[in-house]
Amino acid sequence: MTARWIRPVRRMDWILLLAVLALLVTGVLFIFSASTRSVDLPLYKKQIGWALAGLACFLGLLYADYYRLRDAAWWLYGTSLLLLVLVLVPGIGRKVYGAYRWLSLLGLQFQPSELAKLATIIALARFMSRPGREMNAAGNIGGAVMIVLPPVLLIAAEPDLSTASVLLLTAIVMLYIAGLPMPLLGLATLTGLLAVGLLLGLLFWAPAWLPLSDYQKERILVFLDPGRDPLNHGWNAVQSALAVGSGGLTGKGFLKGTQDVLGYLPRTVAPTDFIFSVIAEEVGFVGSAVLLSLYAVVLSAGLRAAAAARDKLGRLLAAGLTGMLFCHVFINIAMTIGLMPIMGIPLPLMSYGGSFMISTMAALGLAQSVYVRRYT
Amino acid sequence: MAWRELWNDELIRLRLLLIVMLAALGLLAVNLWRMQVARGALYQHNLGEQSIRRVRTAGARGRILARDGALLADNKPSYQVVLYLEELRQPGRGWTRTLRKVETVLQDISRLLERPSHLTADDIQNHIRARLPLPLVAWRNIDETARARLAERASTWRGVDVVAVPLRTYPAGTLAAHVLGYVSRANPPPDDETAARYYEPDVAGKEGIERRYDDELRGQAGEKVVIVDVSGFRYRQHLPAILERFRPREAVPGRDVILTLDTNVQARVEQALGTQPGAAVVVDPANGDVLAMASAPSFDPNEIAAGLPPELWQALVNDPRQPLLPRALAGQYAPGSTFKPVTALAALESGRSTPEVTYACPGYFMLGRARFNCWENLAGHGVQNLHQALQHSCNVYFFNLGLRCGPEAIHAMAIQFGFGHQTGIDLGREMSGLVPDDAWKRRVQHDGWRDGDTCNMAIGQGALLVTPLQMAMFAAALANGGSVFQPRLVAGVRDPVSGVTRTVPPRLLHTLAVDPARLRVVREGLRAVVNTSTGSGKKAALDNIVVAGKTGTAEHGAKGAGQKWTWMIAFVPYERPRYALAMLVEEGVSGGSTVAPLVHDVLYDLLAKPALLQGEG
Repeated sequence: MTARWIRPVRRMDWILLLAVLALLVTGVLFIFSASTRSVDLPLYKKQIGWALAGLACFLGLLYADYYRLRDAAWWLYGTSLLLLVLVLVPGIGRKVYGAYRWLSLLGLQFQPSELAKLATIIALARFMSRPGREMNAAGNIGGAVMIVLPPVLLIAAEPDLSTASVLLLTAIVMLYIAGLPMPLLGLATLTGLLAVGLLLGLLFWAPAWLPLSDYQKERILVFLDPGRDPLNHGWNAVQSALAVGSGGLTGKGFLKGTQDVLGYLPRTVAPTDFIFSVIAEEVGFVGSAVLLSLYAVVLSAGLRAAAAARDKLGRLLAAGLTGMLFCHVFINIAMTIGLMPIMGIPLPLMSYGGSFMISTMAALGLAQSVYVRRYT
Repeated sequence: MAWRELWNDELIRLRLLLIVMLAALGLLAVNLWRMQVARGALYQHNLGEQSIRRVRTAGARGRILARDGALLADNKPSYQVVLYLEELRQPGRGWTRTLRKVETVLQDISRLLERPSHLTADDIQNHIRARLPLPLVAWRNIDETARARLAERASTWRGVDVVAVPLRTYPAGTLAAHVLGYVSRANPPPDDETAARYYEPDVAGKEGIERRYDDELRGQAGEKVVIVDVSGFRYRQHLPAILERFRPREAVPGRDVILTLDTNVQARVEQALGTQPGAAVVVDPANGDVLAMASAPSFDPNEIAAGLPPELWQALVNDPRQPLLPRALAGQYAPGSTFKPVTALAALESGRSTPEVTYACPGYFMLGRARFNCWENLAGHGVQNLHQALQHSCNVYFFNLGLRCGPEAIHAMAIQFGFGHQTGIDLGREMSGLVPDDAWKRRVQHDGWRDGDTCNMAIGQGALLVTPLQMAMFAAALANGGSVFQPRLVAGVRDPVSGVTRTVPPRLLHTLAVDPARLRVVREGLRAVVNTSTGSGKKAALDNIVVAGKTGTAEHGAKGAGQKWTWMIAFVPYERPRYALAMLVEEGVSGGSTVAPLVHDVLYDLLAKPALLQGEG
């Protein structure tokens, strides 16, 4: 009996857990550093709570047999769609910075889009893992697209284009693993590039036709030309780059970063979307490289789980969840160092935030659930 | 076919995905290297630019000392009430609430100090816009009582502080005020002078030595750096990560200026002058050192340095008695009879007269139909030789002498003594006086030179103008046997850091081209002026010490109006002169009756009294 309880823990990827714990601790430390000026309840204490809740979630899903999700997949998917609709209803959804992204449930605030990401991945994995559903038949591909599109469009309507694009990219990763023919994948890539080209073209020649809000347009323009509006729309991008660049090789030292202390990095974003700027300023290139290595460990472990999965459902689940985490890590760091336009994408395991912490840890737990149930 | 199968293998696809992900993370690492290591210095510089403000700080102003070491200008702490706006900052966008808070605090302090606040809303707004990291000065020069009152409340009053700043003071009060000059707040330095965007108010010399030696006294401004947060407020904690790239520069204190003035002589001369408009200069005939230079009435440079209210400043500037005018070197007066030694030497050197030549004085002199009176115009002086004419200051003798040697000779001799030109004293505002000649008269009065002009010039009247300083240097040249010095006011400049003093040597301009025997005749005449019962300057005589001198009474203004400039020049002791002086009282009765007693008082205190005390000892 005892062995049955110990078995999942013994079979799990311990290097992954160590990397995750290291990232969580680092995250809490630098949220502390980034919010020393804050007069509110100390954010780092809250984050410790979220990290513990996330760990519990991780362990819970580790023990739960992911195969049972097959039955719950459509319920989860349906519920998340319902919540995504509810959040758009004024009076029910909470408006923050001009977008309806939050729901209040039993006194807790959470973002339905976080649940929707997981639910969509699960539903898609289930759909594509059914025997005989090869992803080279038009009907099957169409079915997968029909599963992905509703949550993507609903999230885009909040509006939260960043999360919507993450979900879209994750779905493409899953389609790819599921065996989407390479010509079709190439076509999808080409379509994506064309869409970006069209977007930029419209932005410059006919901005009025572009279905984007002004701040979204500005963010893209500022990305293309950082000096365009340094005191307003370009502020965060410029200040984040200053923070990262001034970190130098070894950084200014823990709690010795100045960009956040002096308020140049706004205190609303420093502990959340721009936590990496705070870290890079204080630990420099050496610390940033260590951080990237830890993420490399986490992502490799995810794909390792996918490779070791006993069935296609597990493989697609692990690959999809890892793909989602990768999108977050890459986009977030790329935007803080000026490689991508500013987007509201938090950094997994580091950025302050409850919903995202839970969904990240759940994703990792689910992937490990696949890993511990491998054959060998 | 083989390729297709390769792609169809899910494990291959996973491996490819892993490679793509790791490559993407590698791309991030490469970019981080480029930003943080390759271009890190640039980012660090730019970060400093936005969060560092350089504040210009003034160096401590150098002191001014007398030759005897007495402090004439110094710095003392003055207390200011300042507000730190960052501590009064109110939440909310914009400045309206903070501005209102600042005004409330100002009103509270104003009630406590019982002094109105001079700050307007505009002043506060300007401060917020331009100098936010610096404290806002609300009251300057607050006194002991006010400080005590504030101290009681200091602990409860957030954002209010009393700070000490250097204030220029003149410990000797009004002593040598015209020489020292004064300071007032300097204009902000031009933007391109320094990288500092902010400056702390500095003082600049506006008159006298303070102005002339401003560069030496002022020292070099330093720079301190202030870290500011995103709203422009000063960040008080130490942030070494930013500061290490911006080393502050220490301010260098200004140099001390050591004057040739002797405070004892200066004080005595000022006491003699009192407040009646006049001037006096005492020099050392051996080297041209200015031992005292006084102008009356005077002013208190302390009041100006502390900041006079505009209405009081205007009153000072517009005072008809001109207390700000340094009469000793900027006042121009006809020398009257004190000029007669020039005429005498000109006549002797021209070879057209000798000391033995006599003229009879009936009390007047007829030039054609014009009558020139001798000052003793009732009885006349009778028959006079040069010695007697100097002793009695007989105008008629000098009319004759002037006509005999001609105006060119008098003009040349006056120029030799330094009249008609600035003496070159190291102080601003010096006037050159005027020694008229034919060319000058044609140019200015559109008329040729006449004998009447020669007569006037021979007795130091007409268009002739001199400064009291020129007269003192003239007296010095008579005293030392013909050496014309440039007056030396600054003896040296001392660097307070290294202790090294750069001395300014005395400067001999030239030696008079005058036969010593002829000069002796004139000197003997001047001795008789003071030391005979009929001498015009006998009131300046001392008991045991021989004084030589010449009095003068110059009429000015409308003819017969009775306005007189009264003079005396003197040197003493006669054989080995230590002092040469010139004294002028603008509205005296005559040189002999008004100025000679004053000269006596000064010389008595300087020479006779110490000798007396020494004798008793």
